[in-house]
Amino acid sequence: MPSQSALTIAAEVRPEATEDLRRLLASMGDGVANGSVIDLGAPEAVHFARLVLVDAATDLRGAPLPAWLVYMADVDVPKQQHLVELVDEAGDGIDRLFGHCVNYPSAPATPEQRADYLRACVVKEQARYVNWVGRGERQIRDEARLRERIEAYLDEHADELDGRDAGEVARELRRFVETDESLAWARRPAEGLPVGFRLRELVHAVAIPLLVLLLLPLILLGLPIFVVLLRVHERRDPAPHVKPPPELTERLAALEDHVVLNPFTAIGLVKTGLFRRLTLSTVLFAIDYVTRHVFNRGDLAGVKTIHFARWAFLDGKRRMIFASNYDGSLESYMDDFIDKIAWGLNIVFSNGYGFPRARFLILDGARDELAFKDYLRLHQVPTHVWHSAYGRLTALNITNNARIRAGLQRDAGEADTVEWLRAL
Amino acid sequence: MAARAVANGLDLADVQGLVARGYPQLTAATFLLATVADAAAARLWLARVADLVTASDRRPDGRAINVAFTSTGLRRLGLSDGAVAQFSSEFVGGMTTANRSRILGDVGADAPEHWDWGGPRAQVDIALLLYAADDHALARLRADPALALAPGLRIVRELGTSDLQGHEPFGFRDGISQPLIEGLTKQGLRETTLRFGEFVLGYPNEHGLFTDRPLLDDEADPDRLLPRDPQGSGRADLGRNGTYLVFRQLRQDVRGFWRFLDSAARSRADERTRLAAKLVGRWPGGAPLTLSPDHDDAALAQANDFGYFHGDRAGTRCPIGAHIRRANPRDSLDPRPGTPDSFAINRRHRILRRGREYGTQLTPEKALREPLPDEEERGLHFICLNANISRQFEFVQGTWVNSPKFDALYDDADPLIGPSHPYGGTFTMQAEVVRRRLTDVPRFVSVRGGAYFFLPGIAALRYLAAPPD
Repeated sequence: MPSQSALTIAAEVRPEATEDLRRLLASMGDGVANGSVIDLGAPEAVHFARLVLVDAATDLRGAPLPAWLVYMADVDVPKQQHLVELVDEAGDGIDRLFGHCVNYPSAPATPEQRADYLRACVVKEQARYVNWVGRGERQIRDEARLRERIEAYLDEHADELDGRDAGEVARELRRFVETDESLAWARRPAEGLPVGFRLRELVHAVAIPLLVLLLLPLILLGLPIFVVLLRVHERRDPAPHVKPPPELTERLAALEDHVVLNPFTAIGLVKTGLFRRLTLSTVLFAIDYVTRHVFNRGDLAGVKTIHFARWAFLDGKRRMIFASNYDGSLESYMDDFIDKIAWGLNIVFSNGYGFPRARFLILDGARDELAFKDYLRLHQVPTHVWHSAYGRLTALNITNNARIRAGLQRDAGEADTVEWLRAL
Repeated sequence: MAARAVANGLDLADVQGLVARGYPQLTAATFLLATVADAAAARLWLARVADLVTASDRRPDGRAINVAFTSTGLRRLGLSDGAVAQFSSEFVGGMTTANRSRILGDVGADAPEHWDWGGPRAQVDIALLLYAADDHALARLRADPALALAPGLRIVRELGTSDLQGHEPFGFRDGISQPLIEGLTKQGLRETTLRFGEFVLGYPNEHGLFTDRPLLDDEADPDRLLPRDPQGSGRADLGRNGTYLVFRQLRQDVRGFWRFLDSAARSRADERTRLAAKLVGRWPGGAPLTLSPDHDDAALAQANDFGYFHGDRAGTRCPIGAHIRRANPRDSLDPRPGTPDSFAINRRHRILRRGREYGTQLTPEKALREPLPDEEERGLHFICLNANISRQFEFVQGTWVNSPKFDALYDDADPLIGPSHPYGGTFTMQAEVVRRRLTDVPRFVSVRGGAYFFLPGIAALRYLAAPPD
């Protein structure tokens, strides 16, 4: 099972076609995709996928920025393979959507033309977060099914199992799974990541700190200069607290909370100047490193409710797009971040124009609760069209399901068995 | 305006009395919900009532009066759109917008279009809350000509209450757990004592910040009726010493509750009581399951000083999905459950409950027999106070109580209040070895009315009563 890949496609929208595209996207979903025009779940092994329209804007020097049609997907196949599958499955749906975009071949385009166009629009993500590296969509669905069967078994046999000890119950459950052919796969542990992938990751994990170590003298020399420059910028950058108009919040909220998970998409201007762009790029590089090698097992520095997230630049690094898939309501998502990793938000987003004022890159910032929440709403992009493969499973549910399956394999000691049964 | 003496920096004489106390000695209460029929007459009424309103700085002498307004009520009284817009968006939009209803679980049969009040069919502008020592005193208070609502106001609904002696209609002792508030209640450990600003605007909250509230220019308050912004901007602070009041009328299907449990318990009375305790998290007498898992204990009836992590992490005593555990998870949630960090987050999502029951008491035994004809409703007029509706009440309701995914559960919404989706009707009772589950738990509570109110400071009441220029 390969690790999860991310595909981001951004195509510039023709100005005169923007409103028509907006209407089209609004017809394709109300926060959850309804399958019209294209079926985002049709390609293989899609965890999440979305289509959003990033509005045209003006950069901080007054130059115009175009509107973008952005497609983002988290999948278990290599990104180029997913792109080809998307073109295959979507057919003329691609024409209907990307026909609004600059330089799109005249309809009806051939599959090769569609694939070529999309390939030219692929954007490389600066940083990504994956809740559990290596846990594929098929595994998630299978393990959910396994849990349901076991829970039904426990309900049906509640009276017989009453009073039995943990070891006996565990044996009963293993016997149940063994005698059911459709659950044969559960007797084996989940497929691990391929050796080649793990080796490459190990090399990366070691090489980067080594590189940092080599460059340490330079870094230490540069650090005081960096801090001084940082404070100058932080004191100078405007940080107006703008309240989002109520209609905006209502429009965004109407797309939320229809299922247990929500997508979040936001776009923001990067503060001008080489200093900010470099700082942001470095921070994103560092984030990508730690999410790849440290925060890859269900926990993002204390936040356990995010499935996938990514950061990418648009408009030659003048804007940055952020997208995530998370459990619960936006309010709980924002509170979670403020409470647990405000510093993490600050190091990235304080490089964005309008973010509440930060100090030393990590202090203040998102801790100004209301200013931060207003900032997010003001920069949020409505996500009409969003596909989720998980139905009603939260990240904690999914991890728990994996624990249930893992517990089937070994015959552990008493304490571990009790712990395993607690997962049920 | 002469400077007012304040204790601990808290201007309690300007805060309405409902913040400081729920008036437990005043066992009779009635809540009048009204609309503004004539703005000028309503302002005259308000000017009279502002002199009679009970404040927080002393105990009431046998009667208490408090008054609160919805955002439409403030507009109808003549408050400018610019001022109204500075209140929180939850209050301005109201409890009944489509998005809000989704968060609160007010869908299907509980949707606002079916409500008796507060919904589109029966909007409410003003809530007049009256309390007295007994029913006679309450009747006299209600008839007091000084409070006469007409012609300025028209009554939409008059909600009576009952004294169920500290119990709620399902039969459980209620109101045991209230937050400890700095400067107001008796003080406890730092980790369970909350900043005053969590419950009153114009003071620092648990983030150490001041919640947004309407601040008006001098021209809007030429007579300087309002206190000035404590943050030093010099502007008139319309929100200072006020708070948001959430009011929801919850009808309780007591017969349905006990019938369901009786069936699950195969008609064994003590098993039925045990299951009920599992759903609530306390025994009917009040003892928390976490401290007394096997039987009720009169000595623990008011016990509130406990956590879940050390000693009940897996929910084998108090189920993880039980009502009190999800309405106040204490130290059991991430990050680092069981530590002060967990309490720090918990402190940001507390509410101050001030509700009253209504309808007659029905014991479990009576509840299992056939109902009388024309039986009246019974339930809870749920009232709570908080400075930030979204982070406090709505968070507790949407993220903890209503969520079938609370604390890593799969399909368990609050068993008392019930699932608001087609799913969420499971209740899992964690056990030493194999858990027991109740499935298809019906809804025992339905929403009959509700609204978000603003409970102004007393100076703010006088300001609202003054004619707009």
